[in-house]
Amino acid sequence: MKPLNPLVLTVSVPPHKHYGSSVRGLMTAILMAMVPAAAMAVNTFGVDALRVMALSAGVAVLTEAACNRLMDRSQSVGDLHALTVGLAFAFLLPASAPWWLVAFGSAASIGVGKMMFGPLGGSPFCAPLVGWAICRVSWPGQMDLDASMLTMNLTYPLGQLKAFGWTSVQIQDTKSLLFGRQLGGLGAVQVAGVLIGGLYLVIKHHVSSIIPVGFLAGVATAAWLLHLINPVVYPPAMFHLLTGSVMFGAFFLATDGPSSPNRQIPMLLFGLLAGVMTIVIRVWGAYPDGVPFAILLANLFTPVLERIRPRPFGAR
Amino acid sequence: MSRLWKEFSKGLWTELPPFRLVLGLCPTLAVTKTADNGLGMGLAVVFVLALSNLMISLLRKIIPAKVRIACFIVVAASLVVAVELLMQAYAYPLYQQLGIFVPLIVVNCIILGRAEAFASKNGPLLSMADGAGMGLGFTMSLTFLGGLRELLGSGAIFGVHVAWEGFQPLGLMVEAPGAFISLGVLLALMVFVQNLQRKRRGLALVEAPGHDCKSCGCCGKADNA
Repeated sequence: MKPLNPLVLTVSVPPHKHYGSSVRGLMTAILMAMVPAAAMAVNTFGVDALRVMALSAGVAVLTEAACNRLMDRSQSVGDLHALTVGLAFAFLLPASAPWWLVAFGSAASIGVGKMMFGPLGGSPFCAPLVGWAICRVSWPGQMDLDASMLTMNLTYPLGQLKAFGWTSVQIQDTKSLLFGRQLGGLGAVQVAGVLIGGLYLVIKHHVSSIIPVGFLAGVATAAWLLHLINPVVYPPAMFHLLTGSVMFGAFFLATDGPSSPNRQIPMLLFGLLAGVMTIVIRVWGAYPDGVPFAILLANLFTPVLERIRPRPFGAR
Repeated sequence: MSRLWKEFSKGLWTELPPFRLVLGLCPTLAVTKTADNGLGMGLAVVFVLALSNLMISLLRKIIPAKVRIACFIVVAASLVVAVELLMQAYAYPLYQQLGIFVPLIVVNCIILGRAEAFASKNGPLLSMADGAGMGLGFTMSLTFLGGLRELLGSGAIFGVHVAWEGFQPLGLMVEAPGAFISLGVLLALMVFVQNLQRKRRGLALVEAPGHDCKSCGCCGKADNA
């Protein structure tokens, strides 16, 4: 009897087909979305903003490369995540930040915020905010957006709100706030640019729209309720939405993958929590802009929120 | 003699209380703003720990098993009161710095832990060696942690300014979060050093806890898994 044709069976594990998305692709999209705000920042704050952004991004990449070398991990700077973290950290700094603060904070963002918890995806906190928090607590003088930027003729609306109350805030009209005529984190206050980038990310489905929507809704609702109670003391919701790093936090920081939940209801709750906390810190807290700490706090709730999940199929 | 040395020296590295046993974290985190405070706190603990181990070991045949914890606490509390009064008399500034954490030595887990695990089962001499070793290890760790935090957080060590001109102290390190972060990093470094040693001896490395079904519990089925 003739033997059958030798049959070649190929066994492979799923996924069998990949539609081509990658970490590098996502990070490229996020970097592209940050370009408008970065350009506006250079336009507003001049070459100082460029200096801070370039230094921060460079140090972040070098730190990640060095950490990978020290920790015997495969080199991962190629996925551009370090570059994104470095740039996002720079976006939160005043343009006048001294070089050592930028370098230290950027290195801390990557070292403490990311590499210490393992490779990409292990971090429980949004990496740029870790560096920001360390710098903000350690060097309040250099991180003070108002005191460190006295040479600019712009004012810091949130600082004025915190120190002197709503009636003495100089910049109140929507248009100035929208086009970055205010002090704050150098990229984060370029609200129009951030909004363009954020909408691009959401429309192209690079980030889910639920977290930004939840975050902005949380900020708006809490601010609106307070404004309803006492319009003389509490500013309207639009002011809160357009000042500080609310927009940047909503689209770029709160949506950070590893540190935010990944189902719809937890995402919404996560966004709402961060948004409401922002207003709580702004109104009753010690810091003028509550966004970074609000998001860090919400990051802590991620594991709890992730427990909200459908029952496994077939479970009783 | 070798047994005595073994019991004494285990507290200095292999069973270093705050970093290996992760005991006594309350003072480790709270009073290590400066190296001075760490050293003072550590010495107070050495005194209490060595003497409480000695006394509990002497009394171990008398103490009824049912009320042993209460008896340990009474012994530790009397010694702590003695330390507190001595400190008030001879080191008042230190006493003011340490504040509530001196009375809190009474409920320090190391004291109770050593009493329960060692002194209530061994003779007085060995128990005292164990207590002194553990206490010295604790002192070493606290002084080291305090020195590290003081150096980074205010550019000084034992109150002597050592940083260069224009040094911007990392204020975070002398705040509460700095204590947690530096303790965590030191714990990680301890495991790193341990793994280096084990690699040299050809032993299996100490691994971090993995992410398996037991550590997650999201689906509520972990008990069955």
